[in-house]
Amino acid sequence: MPALPRLIGTGGVIAYRALFNWTTPAMFVGTLLVGPLFQLLFFAYLGRQLGVADDGFYITGNAVLAASLACVFGGTMAVSNERRFGTLGHVLLSPRSRTAVFLGRVLPYAANGLLIAVTTLTAASLLLGLRVPVDALPGLLLVLAVAALACGFFGLTLGAIGLRFRDVWLVSNVSVALLLLLTGVNVPAARLPAWMRVTGELLPVTHAAEAARRLVAGEGFQAAAPQLAAELAIAVGYAVLAATLLKLFEAESRRRASLDTL
Amino acid sequence: MRTLRMIAVGALLHAKQLSRSPFEIATALIVPVVQATLAVYLFRAGGEPGRLLEAAVGAGLMGVWSSVLFGSGGAIQNQRWQGTLEMIMLAPRPPALVVLPITLATALTGTYAMLATLAWGRLLYGIPLTFADPLAFAVAVPGCIIGLGMFGLLLASTFVLLRNANALTNTLEYPIWLVSGMLVPITALPGWTGPIAAVLPTTWGARAVREATTGSGPTWPSLGICLAISLACLALGAIMMTHVERRARAAATLALA
Repeated sequence: MPALPRLIGTGGVIAYRALFNWTTPAMFVGTLLVGPLFQLLFFAYLGRQLGVADDGFYITGNAVLAASLACVFGGTMAVSNERRFGTLGHVLLSPRSRTAVFLGRVLPYAANGLLIAVTTLTAASLLLGLRVPVDALPGLLLVLAVAALACGFFGLTLGAIGLRFRDVWLVSNVSVALLLLLTGVNVPAARLPAWMRVTGELLPVTHAAEAARRLVAGEGFQAAAPQLAAELAIAVGYAVLAATLLKLFEAESRRRASLDTL
Repeated sequence: MRTLRMIAVGALLHAKQLSRSPFEIATALIVPVVQATLAVYLFRAGGEPGRLLEAAVGAGLMGVWSSVLFGSGGAIQNQRWQGTLEMIMLAPRPPALVVLPITLATALTGTYAMLATLAWGRLLYGIPLTFADPLAFAVAVPGCIIGLGMFGLLLASTFVLLRNANALTNTLEYPIWLVSGMLVPITALPGWTGPIAAVLPTTWGARAVREATTGSGPTWPSLGICLAISLACLALGAIMMTHVERRARAAATLALA
């Protein structure tokens, strides 16, 4: 295998196994599969009771959002746990491209996120009786994959912030809560104030949730494509931001000798 | 009297300790406020602007439950990590009486969530804090918190037996919010959830607080049932804690993380 793909692929998988806290079967199933499903049911029943939107709105939106938990916390762990386990210095001493090392770490989390989103969507559709058109499935899979990738790069951006600020877990917890509010997954975007809508459009999940809803509604891939493209742009934007912040904060940590400060 | 004093002083000590953690405090304040905002917009979108106080109180109760769940669930493990588990188990008191103040403290720090959501609702959304029965509300909230603290002891003693307690903790947040009717009325849920809801102190505590807020029913019976179930949980938790402690001493596994 050529060196760069090996660094990104194999390196990413090794880092995932070493740094992701939730890989044991119990943690994986409990936290990443069952947790998001209950979150979906909570909002679906609340939405039903308040008459805000139908089940399809909540099932599709929350299935896309389900990817964010593994990706946002995973991205944070990909950087912060290196520091916690005392291995950050070793990684940064490596003569390989820092951008390749860290961006490669997002791929296993994105794959993880995709698995969680698909499982959540399937389970919720069976439980609440949502019928997804068969011809929408390939497009839906693509949308979920792009959303997971965008969430992964968003998580890596938060992880990079962890090089500068010590309470990165607080940032991750608050970010996950804000995704619930700002992405229009649970409150229709039209019902949110303008500043929340604008903020939401700069976050992952928002555009993917909209694209997924169009596909589930049977509007076809053409109708979902603009939102899918917007989600992809968000993913690229966060990848660039994460790489920039990692470079910037690494240089600053070296200058201030605060690399391993916990 | 000495026992009550010990519990009160212990709870205060642990509440102060938890309040020194910027992470705990910020999480207890910020996340419930985000959830309260979400609830407010959902209730507005659903054409229920008259129920915004109910939404803010419900979001606050959700924050209290999260604090109890994560705090009590990790109570023993946190003592292990701090290296203080042996010290508290050496105390010449039943282990339940030593751990109960910790779980009560997690419920106490959960009140930050309730205060934050009410203040947020009042200041930002102008939600009038007009409780149908202010006296009942003033009693129901602390009663509910004490009840959840006692329930926390059962969680702490159960979770210490489970190797993967963290997984259970992460899983139990939304189901209890849902089944207890903190925001979603129990009547909107499938019928089979009814018996589960009926044995949870969170259901009756949330109901008592909601009744005091909206005047939808008499607060005191619900609060009484909440405390009665919580006392049963306390007794069960105490038996389990004694069993766990003896087993850990016999197997020399008390300090094993």
